[in-house]
Amino acid sequence: MGRGVTGLAPACLRASQLELFSPGAPGWPFGDFHALPGRRLCGRPLQIRQVARPGAGPEAAEGRGAGLSSLIMDPECSQLLPALCSVLADPRQPVTDDTCLEKLLDWFKTITEAGSSLLLLQENPCLLGLLCHVLKPQDLSPRVLAFSLRLAGMLAAQEDCFQYLQGDSSLFVASAAGQLLVHVLGLSLQGPAEGHPGLQTGDWPVCAQKIVSHIEESLRSAATPQITQALNVLTTTFGHCHNPWTQVLWVRLSPLVARLLEKDPVPAAHSLVDLLLSVARSPVLSSSSCGLWETLAQTLSHLSPTQAGPLALGILKLQECPQALRAQAFAVLLQPLTCVLEATAQAPGLLDSWDGTGGASVTVDTLLASKAACVGLLCRTLAHLELLQPLPQRPSPWPQAPLLGATVTILRLCSGSATPTSDAGGHLCAFLVGCVRVQRAALDFLGTLSRGTGPRELVTQVFAVLLEYLTSPDSSPTVLKKAFQATFRWLQSSPETPGCSDLDPHAQLFLRELLPVLPKRLCSPCWEVRDSGLEFLTQMIGRWGGQAGFRRALLASEVPELTEQLLRDPESYVRASAVAAMGQLSSQGLRVTPASPEHPGGQQKSLLAELLHILSTDSEGFPRRAVMHVFTQWLRDGHADVAADTERFVARVLQVASQDLDWEVRAQGLELALVFLEQTLGRPSSHCPYAVTPPVAAPPGPLAQALRPLCRVQLFEFAFRALFDCDRPVAQKSCDLLLFLRAQTASYSGPQGSGSVPEVASVEAALQRWQAGDQGQPLGYLEPEVVVAVLRSMDLEGLRGALAESSDRVEKSPQSLLQDMLATVGALGEDEADCY
Amino acid sequence: VCGVNGRFAWLVEGGAGQDVGRSCILVSIGGKNVMLDCGMHMGFNDDRRFPDFSYITRNGRLTDFLDCVIISHFHLDHCGALPYFSEMVGYDGPIYMTHPTQAICPILLEDYRKIAVDKKGEANFFTSQMIKDCMKKVVAVHLHQTVQVDDELEIKAYYAGHVLGAAMFQIKVGSESVVYTGDYNMTPDRHLGAAWIDKCRPNLLITESTYATTIRDSKRCRERDFLKKVHEAVERGGKVLIPVFALGRAQELCILLETFWERMNLKAPIYFSTGLTEKANHYYKLFITWTNQKIRKTFVQRNMFEFKHIKAFDRAFADNPGPMVVFATPGMLHAGQSLQIFRKWAGNEKNMVIMPGYCVQGTVGHKILSGQRKLEMEGRQVLEVKMQVEYMSFSAHADAKGIMQLVGQAEPENVLLVHGEAKKMEFLKQKIEQEFRVSCYMPANGETVTLPTSPSIPVGISLGLLKREMAQGLLPDAKKPRLLHGTLIMKDSNFRLVSSEQALKELGLAEHQLRFTCRVHLHDPRKEQETAMRVYSHLKSVLKEHCVQHLPDGSVTVESILIQAAAHSEDPGTKVLLVSWTYQDEELGSHLTSLLKKGLPQAAS
Repeated sequence: MGRGVTGLAPACLRASQLELFSPGAPGWPFGDFHALPGRRLCGRPLQIRQVARPGAGPEAAEGRGAGLSSLIMDPECSQLLPALCSVLADPRQPVTDDTCLEKLLDWFKTITEAGSSLLLLQENPCLLGLLCHVLKPQDLSPRVLAFSLRLAGMLAAQEDCFQYLQGDSSLFVASAAGQLLVHVLGLSLQGPAEGHPGLQTGDWPVCAQKIVSHIEESLRSAATPQITQALNVLTTTFGHCHNPWTQVLWVRLSPLVARLLEKDPVPAAHSLVDLLLSVARSPVLSSSSCGLWETLAQTLSHLSPTQAGPLALGILKLQECPQALRAQAFAVLLQPLTCVLEATAQAPGLLDSWDGTGGASVTVDTLLASKAACVGLLCRTLAHLELLQPLPQRPSPWPQAPLLGATVTILRLCSGSATPTSDAGGHLCAFLVGCVRVQRAALDFLGTLSRGTGPRELVTQVFAVLLEYLTSPDSSPTVLKKAFQATFRWLQSSPETPGCSDLDPHAQLFLRELLPVLPKRLCSPCWEVRDSGLEFLTQMIGRWGGQAGFRRALLASEVPELTEQLLRDPESYVRASAVAAMGQLSSQGLRVTPASPEHPGGQQKSLLAELLHILSTDSEGFPRRAVMHVFTQWLRDGHADVAADTERFVARVLQVASQDLDWEVRAQGLELALVFLEQTLGRPSSHCPYAVTPPVAAPPGPLAQALRPLCRVQLFEFAFRALFDCDRPVAQKSCDLLLFLRAQTASYSGPQGSGSVPEVASVEAALQRWQAGDQGQPLGYLEPEVVVAVLRSMDLEGLRGALAESSDRVEKSPQSLLQDMLATVGALGEDEADCY
Repeated sequence: VCGVNGRFAWLVEGGAGQDVGRSCILVSIGGKNVMLDCGMHMGFNDDRRFPDFSYITRNGRLTDFLDCVIISHFHLDHCGALPYFSEMVGYDGPIYMTHPTQAICPILLEDYRKIAVDKKGEANFFTSQMIKDCMKKVVAVHLHQTVQVDDELEIKAYYAGHVLGAAMFQIKVGSESVVYTGDYNMTPDRHLGAAWIDKCRPNLLITESTYATTIRDSKRCRERDFLKKVHEAVERGGKVLIPVFALGRAQELCILLETFWERMNLKAPIYFSTGLTEKANHYYKLFITWTNQKIRKTFVQRNMFEFKHIKAFDRAFADNPGPMVVFATPGMLHAGQSLQIFRKWAGNEKNMVIMPGYCVQGTVGHKILSGQRKLEMEGRQVLEVKMQVEYMSFSAHADAKGIMQLVGQAEPENVLLVHGEAKKMEFLKQKIEQEFRVSCYMPANGETVTLPTSPSIPVGISLGLLKREMAQGLLPDAKKPRLLHGTLIMKDSNFRLVSSEQALKELGLAEHQLRFTCRVHLHDPRKEQETAMRVYSHLKSVLKEHCVQHLPDGSVTVESILIQAAAHSEDPGTKVLLVSWTYQDEELGSHLTSLLKKGLPQAAS
């Protein structure tokens, strides 16, 4: 390691990555100086601005380091860093927390990515000191060593100055080291090989040659882990670098790679497949004539059917690829299904035409070797075809009908309803019967196949097998869920009768058989089944609730009644799903109201009252949240029960929601308030309800009058309370709502009521107390004028800015990290290793 | 990696060091791949909080590669990544856990999701729907119930103490087995019993080693200490804040305080935030068989989880004058109600905050535990912490003594230590190796360990071979193993032992004869025939039990050994004996050669 990281030569600051501003000049992005302390460089005050915009930068792309956004080191951090470096360099002071080192790296990364890595080193010599120190052999913790290595690699990768790499084989054991090798290889060749694409490896820089011969050695090795490592390094290289020199590298190494295929079994087959695919995807290599396609074809035929699947899928996903190879790859994927069809004495149909390259016997052998092998191969095949089906580059013609036939057959073999006619079929049947894994995979694929059409009799078979699964008492909960999903997809894809927006007669027929099955599932002892049944029902009503045929079939079944009973299910997930389903049923007028002759005088509780009861009493959040969703939808759609007395409804719901312990219920309350607000102010819902844009036309009527209904339902009390909610999303939502409202009120004509001063002052005082965390007294009824005056006096923009920052922003800052790391040294005792 | 060659491989992700790591272990056993736990790391706010599943996905799709996932208990460092793993990475297979874990796990996941979404930058997090869909893949198991995952793989759960529903799992394929302990506790506490496992002698025991070197003081002392501190604070009129996670330790502390309040007849109110007591009560009542004997016994008279003194907390109560004790979530003071109350009470030295568990860096809990007293809050405000800060570890892990005890109980062939700190693990490793004479491993994060085992592989014997053996007249005797010669044919992953003739026939091979030859020089001036005769006479007298023949062509045979005498080309006084024998008579052949090399007896001359 001693010579591992040396020669950090001076690098120039990349002007393209820095934007220089003088304070106050046009484009100066910051309001005041103290927000981002300036740095003197070359005698001129300069500010380094974050080039990557929030949400578009590397942080956002990787979803990392969100908290460590300070891109230059502030003086406080600079002061803390030397102390921390000396702690890290001291083996007697163990660092107890991996995450701190990771976060520290995150921070350095954001700094170096802003282009100031040299600056970082120059201004913080303690870092270089640390790097030099850890290179000395000593009893250093592996964590700190790993940290230092990664820091060095990160700094090196930033500059064109990484001159040497020690060919230490121990570097090669971890994937991190592999990554570093790829970096170094790429960097070392950036200069010399870039200008001369013809440059042979013999003329490459010494360090690059060393790496290459190391990879060659590993590929020749008899040990699979070493081969795997080498293949992985190459995969990363060809995946990330598309420079001409990669072609030279591939030409040199491909014979060694091809030699791996001669071994039986092929070592590190997965990594080999990954490598070949990454080579095939590389624009430099796939366009050249370096025997790549031949190698791929050879590999396809050498690997076992199970191993060849991912390669076949990868080949079929390629944009550019010879037709013959595509056909060979598709044949690999289709072969197991061909075997299934043949074993059950069915004509493989179109599958035959794809399947001309032999290898069938190997596939049959695999399928019949053992249950595990058979199940594994079928599941993988189905999954690969499922991934392939929706792709534009999938093979054409797509053998939809044979695939449907094969999938239905597999499902029948699994359920035991298929009659095998051959020995092979008998074997398959024995392996597959009751196999949940294959059932799940086949149902998933069957659902995907609904995107295409099929011959009428095959579609009939599809519905029949789905019904068989939905009815069977042997179907496991997970299989039933998939069966419901596949059923919905097939119903959705069935053509609608021309002229009438109803389901086609075919699907109608199926529905008539399906609906009697559903009650059984809604009464299942497994909550998973009840829930999946309800989810399916909700989807169905959402899609066909308005269609006569469906309505008749549904009303003739026990489904609506059972659904209502499930509102009192012991499982909260089921209650929530029942709430959603009942909301839909009621919206579509499908809720069964007790027929008066049967229930004379029986006053059934209205659904609205029932849902309000759930909202105020259910101990779990899910049903309460579901109720809020239903109510919001009802308000939006003008549901009859709501329209009867909208103000009373809104007032009641907001009152209950404001008491809720679940912040998502409170947030949903704001959503409902917003819908009401839009309806009251006469503004149609826009796509972006929070967009603060003046309305196109000011609605008629004086402002006070328009606001009065909002005041009557105590919407403002609810929103103001939510504004100081301890859960940030609620406060944010409320802030947006109030900003929207203020923008709306600005457009109103007529006297802009200012409200009586004492009243406004008392509301403002109350709000201040709330902000301080004091819940205090309710505001009571507020006059519209007071509301408008309070709204105008509030710094809502400022509040929104503050809320936009995460609640632990301060704790996540680099300064806080450094302080924590320093404070922890020696503070934690023996017994601190703990778990929550 | 494995299969009939009898090798385990496992990979340990997370769990190193003194942080709240992600437990996630991949075990390959007898060709089956099982993932043990799927934990998350509280210390990160990005994808690093979850295990790096690319270790597994590089072997293909998760659902194809893994045969099942097992979750040991509901703590987030053991199950927190589950919805991410199943719904976002895309695992579609079965997930096994105990009934209480199945009930409680979604509550904690939901709780954590809400805290995470509450903060900024947590958009890419799993949703409630994902938690539900994930829970639908769960198969709940009972203690000591052998669950057949498929034809070859079976699992069995054992009581682990630690938290409600925690279990150790035995994973078995054929004759090979692994036991994974998860977190466990070998001493009973206020509400749970001690871990127990039978003498299952697994090939490998994977055990946590959080307290690898510690012999913990009795829990009673810590409890006394805790009560004393709370009591003192309340007596001086202070408010006590106990940040906790919704379920688990909170219930233990509630029982403790409730009993103490009852005994001391204390009047200060105790509150529990966010209505979680109700839910906890429900589950503790539902799973009363999982608690300890004392709770089960007293259950009929009084349910320990129905608290007389502990009331639901309302946000407004925080401003009430006078002493009180509040349990509030979350446990690390990083968001929500506990943090809000902390900010209110921090300035008063009469108040106290008791942290009953570990806090990750970046939380207010971590800061105050490491002694920081001036905390920067939003808007450059500085919060001065004057309240008393106490740390009390109530975590229920086995200490060094407990771990040794469990190894003694299970009698494994090998031990693997996870979930601990390297230096301490090293100490324990030596102790285990010395005391139990078994190999002990402590792999680092992401490291794979492969372990050879001696699996029993069934071999079929051909009827012909057995009949031939029987024909020798000896009846089979279980106590006297006999040597049976045959040819082992491996075909289609089947093993058969057949006679060599049958093997040749089946495989369509021709038989080859192998003969050893040797030249022995004899000083004998007589004719070749006479020399051969002398050799015959000599051998006949020495090798009485063997069939020695003198053939008409002048050569001599002893069993399959052939001896011919020839004249020496240069020295007429010397004869050359050409000796050749088959490999079956190798022993006799070499004996005979050494005899001849000594020369022929003079007496006969």
